[in-house]
Amino acid sequence: MSAAGLLFGPDGWGALLLKGALVTVALGLVTVPFGFGGGLVLAGLKLSRWRAVRGLSEAYTTFFRGIPDLLALFIVYFGLQSLLDHAQATLGLASRLELSAFVAGVIALSVVVAAYSGEVWVAALRTVPPGQVEAARSLGLDRKRAFFLVVLPQLGRVALPGLGNVWTVLLKDTSLISTLAVTDLLRAASEASKNTTRPILFYGAAAAIYLVFSIASNAGQAALERRANRGIA
Amino acid sequence: MDALHGLLGFVFNTELLSQYGWRLLSGVRITAEVVLLSCSIGFVLAYPICRARMSRNLPLRSGAAGYIAVFRGTPLLCQLYLVYYGAGEVRPWLTGAGLWWFFRDAFYCCILAFSLNTAAYQAEILRGALGSVSRGQREAAAALGLSPYRVARHVVWPQAFLAALRPLGNELILVIKASALAAIVTLLDLMGQTRLIFARTFDFSVYLYAALIYLAATEGIRRLWNRMERAASKHVRQIEPLKAAHPAPPRGALPIVSAEAVPPG
Amino acid sequence: MGIPKLLLAVGLACGLAAGMGARTAEAKEWKTIRFGMDASYAPFESVNQKGEIVGFEVDYARAICAKLEATCTFQNQDWDGIIPSLLSNKFDVIFSSMNITDARKAKVIFSDVYYATPIVFVGQASEKSKDTSPAALKGKSIGTQSSTIHANFLETLYPGSDIKLYPTQDEPNLDLASGRIDYVVGDSLVEEDFVKTKGKGCCTILSEVQRVPGIHGPGVGAAFRPGDTDLQAMFNKAIAELDADGTYKTLAKKYFTIDIRGK
Repeated sequence: MSAAGLLFGPDGWGALLLKGALVTVALGLVTVPFGFGGGLVLAGLKLSRWRAVRGLSEAYTTFFRGIPDLLALFIVYFGLQSLLDHAQATLGLASRLELSAFVAGVIALSVVVAAYSGEVWVAALRTVPPGQVEAARSLGLDRKRAFFLVVLPQLGRVALPGLGNVWTVLLKDTSLISTLAVTDLLRAASEASKNTTRPILFYGAAAAIYLVFSIASNAGQAALERRANRGIA
Repeated sequence: MDALHGLLGFVFNTELLSQYGWRLLSGVRITAEVVLLSCSIGFVLAYPICRARMSRNLPLRSGAAGYIAVFRGTPLLCQLYLVYYGAGEVRPWLTGAGLWWFFRDAFYCCILAFSLNTAAYQAEILRGALGSVSRGQREAAAALGLSPYRVARHVVWPQAFLAALRPLGNELILVIKASALAAIVTLLDLMGQTRLIFARTFDFSVYLYAALIYLAATEGIRRLWNRMERAASKHVRQIEPLKAAHPAPPRGALPIVSAEAVPPG
Repeated sequence: MGIPKLLLAVGLACGLAAGMGARTAEAKEWKTIRFGMDASYAPFESVNQKGEIVGFEVDYARAICAKLEATCTFQNQDWDGIIPSLLSNKFDVIFSSMNITDARKAKVIFSDVYYATPIVFVGQASEKSKDTSPAALKGKSIGTQSSTIHANFLETLYPGSDIKLYPTQDEPNLDLASGRIDYVVGDSLVEEDFVKTKGKGCCTILSEVQRVPGIHGPGVGAAFRPGDTDLQAMFNKAIAELDADGTYKTLAKKYFTIDIRGK
């Protein structure tokens, strides 16, 4: 069969590839709030007053940034459910919480992304002068409001380039999930190439789709940065 | 209590280590070979790519930009599959070109894919580092009558090297981590041996041993790099307190070539 | 970051390990049964263009579910992670041509054997010699899927050969077709299917492997978590019933020309 027939024909693999591409994007987008949010919490813990908390959060970052993402995903993917079961048995809950492969994949990615984005948030938090928080507190804002109204709005702008980098890493890391269980873009390409013995065509197509995602992400990031930097010299 | 028992069982699982420890070590050797070769070849490739990317020749520049976009914008695993299984698909052609012996070997395929990938990242690091040396310094050095070679040798490179040192160290760490993908195309690196031992024993703790070995390697390099950077930038820090002690030169005064600009050696 | 924090990182890893040891079992009404399969094993299970898993074991699993009056779902899972996935409750049963071995019995429990087929050596079509003894294959490269009885067999009996282990059985087949490796060991039906269809005459089946007790086991069974003995009993009953009412034979005829039941 011709390349076009294999991709777009009635018996072609194009539809599976597109479905996989959607899964890849979905994995990435769903991970963002948890991964980036987790990173922000982690950054907060790193700047904590208590030594033990600081140490634990540093240890988390060191561990997950220091080992291959493939290994980290594997450990979280398989370790997590056991920990959950253990916790539920301890708490004596009757029904067990079951994670789908997709959800488990999102959690595994979030754990890794939190470690990466935590560093970005820490650097961003350091750019906000402590005087601002003091000023906000002296105006009568409590700690929570001082953070959400004064510090957080400024963080986004400073953290944006770094978070953009983490996003591109995340988008590519979703491909590692393909070695676990989820039929993402790379997995779909792999199935197609094994069934048709045409690896160059299908891995090439997958690479092209990833490249489109990456170019779109860069354009999106540039637009966001322009918007965030309005009114700032 | 259960958790504590599990913890002790993990820490003292010497049986696993004594039986399979040598396998892990041989995996470490392969991982080290893959990483060192890929990083060195990548570094050699990175310089011409970086020059092409900064060149005034449009086709050259866009070619390099395209190369960098492709290798940084797609997953390494996808690139590895393309090299490894793609080569299998075009075997008659490769045999004709006398290249099949190279692509036949999973080790060489990994080295090729990883080198091409890290070259794209290292080229961008070099570009950033060269860009960090201000034009004025080059012009000033040229105005002092230094030859282009000596401008590069004594003014640009020492500073660019310092700027590139940290990101290159980070890239080395990233290559170590990425090298775990080699196991997927049959290479028995640290990750490959780990999977093999797991297949034999079904003992999950072997994955954690592997994690600790990777962690020791990446953390060790991070520390070594911090030290190297401190040693290499000694002169910069020694000058800083002095600078602070002296008042800033009055506006319009001739700029003084600071010690930062011309490091010793 | 100082040494104490590094130690904490190690501690974190240990904590994770400790958590993994713990498992819980509970009684459950099996209204839905989730099947885990490594769908790269045509004609037993593979993925079609629509992304669905199809093949003999899927049809057979559906027949079992009909007997048990349960709903079936199928999940694709890489072979290397298939036992950890079962144990961490990603699905309830491995139904993926898993041979019953003692090493696996330490982690999971098996149903009765539901098929047993010969194991074969495949070589290049140009290969003249049918001799696949360890002495004849010394220095040659042999590929198979990792974490399988074939991998175990090769590593034990072929120490002089260069053994290449792949995540799925499709990949050594592709590498045999491209000439990257000299031989492949695999299930006879899977290899016949490959040689006839995707292999396009690249390769030929050379010899049958003599089963080695302690490595190969009695045949293929369904695997469950050790706590799910009720599910195991239900499957054994269904397997016997499907044999008795002839459903098994009808299904097998759709895919195979030889008898694979192997009792």
